[in-house]
Amino acid sequence: MALLQISEPGQTPEPHQRKRAVGIDLGTTNSLVATVRSGSAVPLPADDGRVILPSAVRYTEAGVEVGYGARAAAGEDPYNSLISIKRLMGRGLADIKNFGDQLPYHFAEDTGGMPAIETVAGKVNPVQVSAEILKVLAARGAESLGGPLDGAVITVPAYFDEAQRQATKDAAKLAGLNVLRLLNEPTAAAVAYGLDKQEERGDAADKTIAVYDLGGGTFDISILRLSKGVFEVLSTGGDSALGGDDFDRAVAEWIAEEAGLGTDHDAGEQRKLLNTACAAKEALASEVSVSVSYGGWSAELSREKLAELLDPLIAKTLRACKRALRDADLSAEEVAEVVLVGGSTRTLRVRDKVRDFFGREPHADIDPDQVVAIGAALQADVLVGNKSREDLLLLDVIPLSLGIETMGGLTEKLIHRNTTIPVAKAQEFTTFKDGQTAMAIHVVQGERELVQDCRSLARFELRGIPPMVAGAAHIRVTFQVDADGLLSVTAMEKSSGVQAEITVKPSYGLGDSDITRMLQDSYANAEEDIAARALREAQVEAERTLEAMLVALQENGAELLDEKELEALERGMQALRLAHNGGTPEEIRSRIDELNALSEPFAARRMDESIKRAMQGHSLDEFDKP
Amino acid sequence: MPAFLLFGSTFMQQNHFEIFGLPVSYAVDRQALAKRYRELQQEFHPDRFAAKSEREQMLSMQYAAQINEANNTLKDPVARAAYLLQLAGVEINPEQTTADGEFLMQQMMLREQLEDVRTAADPEAELDNLGSEAGQLFKAQEAAFASALSANALEEAKSALLKLQFLAKLQRQVEELEEDLLD
Repeated sequence: MALLQISEPGQTPEPHQRKRAVGIDLGTTNSLVATVRSGSAVPLPADDGRVILPSAVRYTEAGVEVGYGARAAAGEDPYNSLISIKRLMGRGLADIKNFGDQLPYHFAEDTGGMPAIETVAGKVNPVQVSAEILKVLAARGAESLGGPLDGAVITVPAYFDEAQRQATKDAAKLAGLNVLRLLNEPTAAAVAYGLDKQEERGDAADKTIAVYDLGGGTFDISILRLSKGVFEVLSTGGDSALGGDDFDRAVAEWIAEEAGLGTDHDAGEQRKLLNTACAAKEALASEVSVSVSYGGWSAELSREKLAELLDPLIAKTLRACKRALRDADLSAEEVAEVVLVGGSTRTLRVRDKVRDFFGREPHADIDPDQVVAIGAALQADVLVGNKSREDLLLLDVIPLSLGIETMGGLTEKLIHRNTTIPVAKAQEFTTFKDGQTAMAIHVVQGERELVQDCRSLARFELRGIPPMVAGAAHIRVTFQVDADGLLSVTAMEKSSGVQAEITVKPSYGLGDSDITRMLQDSYANAEEDIAARALREAQVEAERTLEAMLVALQENGAELLDEKELEALERGMQALRLAHNGGTPEEIRSRIDELNALSEPFAARRMDESIKRAMQGHSLDEFDKP
Repeated sequence: MPAFLLFGSTFMQQNHFEIFGLPVSYAVDRQALAKRYRELQQEFHPDRFAAKSEREQMLSMQYAAQINEANNTLKDPVARAAYLLQLAGVEINPEQTTADGEFLMQQMMLREQLEDVRTAADPEAELDNLGSEAGQLFKAQEAAFASALSANALEEAKSALLKLQFLAKLQRQVEELEEDLLD
C-alpha cells in the first residue's frame, strides 16, 4: 500500500509498540498507581518499596512534600499538611462550611467559588493539591515503565457528581496526564475480580456482582452484571461524604466525651484525637478489646462498644445498598458475588453487617487497598490499545439524575440516574417574550424536586436566538454525557437553523483559562519552561493524531478512499509532521485541526464499515486481525 | 446539526427495533435484545475508540448513545408502547390523560387505598395486595395495547398507552412507599 511508505521512522512511534499506561486510584486517604506487566496488573512501589502513597500534601516554604512525611506532619502542622482533600473536590465554599469543623484548614475564596486553602506557600485549591499527588504517581509510573506515560485511567467514586468528576479531570490535566477514562471505583474493583474469576473457571454464564466500597471519605455501592466480558452496571448509589474518616470521628467523639474534653478542640488536638481513634479502631480488627489512652485519661474500648458507635454509620451504607438493589430490580439473594473494596471494609463490624445483609460471605481476597488501582490498570491497558480486541467492556451509568430548573424553582429531570452512558437527551424550549434573543438555563444534578435541594452544576446562556414572537422559537438543547460521565451541552434554534452560542460556566470549578493560569503558577518556581511544556504537549497530540491516522489507513484506507482523497490526507499528514518537527504549538494545533477536518469523511466511512459488519452479525475480529 | 452527522450512515436513521434486528412489535424478546445490545456496544462503545482519531471517538460516542437510547426505550414497556405509536405517526402530548371515566374512578380508588396503607393494621400485606393488583391491571393494558396496535386500531392503542402511564406511576408510588416502610 502506497501509504505505508510515507511513515518516517523515528518521527512517529511504531503503531504496534507497547504503550505505557497506568491505572491510578486517587483516594481520600491513600493513592496508588498500577500497571499491566506480562499480562497481570501490579501496583508500582516507590523507591522504599511501599506501594501506597498517603493522599497527603504538605506545603512548606521550601516546597511541596507528598505522602508519608506530609501525613505524619498533620498533627504538628495541620494548616499546611492537607489530608482528605478529595472531600473538597468539585465543592463550593458554601459546601465546605458544612464540614468546616471536620477540616481544620483556613479557607478563602478562589476562582469560580472554589475554596482555596491558605498555606505558608500561598493559596492552593483542591484541584492543585490533587494534582501534586497525581504528579508523584505519574512520575513513579514513568520511571517504572521507562518513559513518559501515554495515558492513564483515573478512578473516581461512582457516586461522584459532574463537578467532582470534572475537578478530578482538571487535576489530571494539571499534572500533565492524558486521561484515557475516568473509571468508577466499584467498576474497577469488579474488573479486577471478574476477570480473575473468569479465567479461573472459564465460565461464560451471566452473574450479578455487588461491590461494597467503603473508603476513607466515600461510600459506593454498585450492582453489576457480568456477561462474557461485558460488565454492565445496573445501578449505583452511595454517599460521597461518608467513610472511614467518619468512623474515626465517631470514636474520637467518644474519647473526647469520656475524657471530659468537651467539644471544642484546636486543629492539632483534633488531629491527635483522630489518630488515637483510628489506631484503636484498627487494633480492634485483631483484638477483642483495646486500651485507649489520651493525655492522662485511659479506658478500655471493646468490639461491642465500637459496634455501637459505628452501627448508625453502617446502617446508612446498607440503606444505600437496598436502594441500589431496588434500582437494579433485584433482591439481595439474587446477587451471586459480593466484593469488598476500600480500607474501611477491614473493620470487622462492616464485614459482619455486609454478610448479614447479602446473606453470603463477601470476597476480600484482593487487597482492598489495591483492587481499584489493579482494575484501573487492566482497563488502561485495553484503552491505550495494548490489547486491541480484548473481551472487556465496561458499560457504566450516571449516578445522579441531571435536570434543569423550570418555573417555580422545580427540577425537570432530563437524564435519570442509573442511565447507561454515553447518553444524549434533547429538550425543546421556547421564548417567553416577543423579540427575546437570549435565554438562561440552569443545569442541576440530584434526585430532589426542588432546585435548591439539588447540586447546581452550571448556568449557561443561549444567545443569538433570532427575534420572533413569544413562543415561536424552537430551541433544541441537547445534553450529552460522555463515557467519563461528563456533561456537554449544544443548542440549536430549529426554525432558523441557527446554532446558538452556549457558555457553560461550572458553578464550582475551573475554566480553561484558570487551568492555564494554574499551570503557569506551578511552573513559576520550576525549571521547566511553560513554552517548552506547551510545545511538548502539542507534539504529543500530533504524534497521537498521526498514529491514529496511520493505523486507520493501514486498516482500510485503500478500500475506502480514492486516490485524490488519499493524496489529500497524505499532504495533511506531511504538513503536520513538518509542524511537529519545528513549528510552534499554535501551528501544530492548526495542522491537527486541518488533518482532523480532512479525515472526517474517512472517519465516517470507517464507522459505516463497522456498522455494516456489525449488522451482518460478524465480529470485527474476523476482519481486523492481520 | 453537527457537520459530521451529514456523512452519517443509515445507522442513525434506523429505528430502535432495526438497530437490534428485532421485528417492530410490542412483544420484545428480552434475551435477544440484551444479547444484541452487548454485541453492538462491543463494537461502538467509546472505549473501543480510545486510541483512535478524535472524529471516530466523537462518532462512537454518538452511536453508543443512540444504542443506549434504543435499548432503554425497548426495555421499558411504557416507553416502548409510546415509541411504537410514534412510529405509527400518532402524536402524544405529554399533558394528555385518559378520558375513560371508569378507569379514572378505579385509579382514584387505588390511590386512596395507597394513602391508607400507612395506617393499615398490616401495611406490608396491604401494600403487597395493592402492588399485585396494579401489576395485573398493567398486564391487561399491555395486552390491550398489543392487540390494538396489531389491528392498527391506533386510537384504541393510544388509549391503552395513556392507561399504562397511569398504572406505571401507581407502581412507582407503591415501590416508593415500600422503601419508606422498610426504613
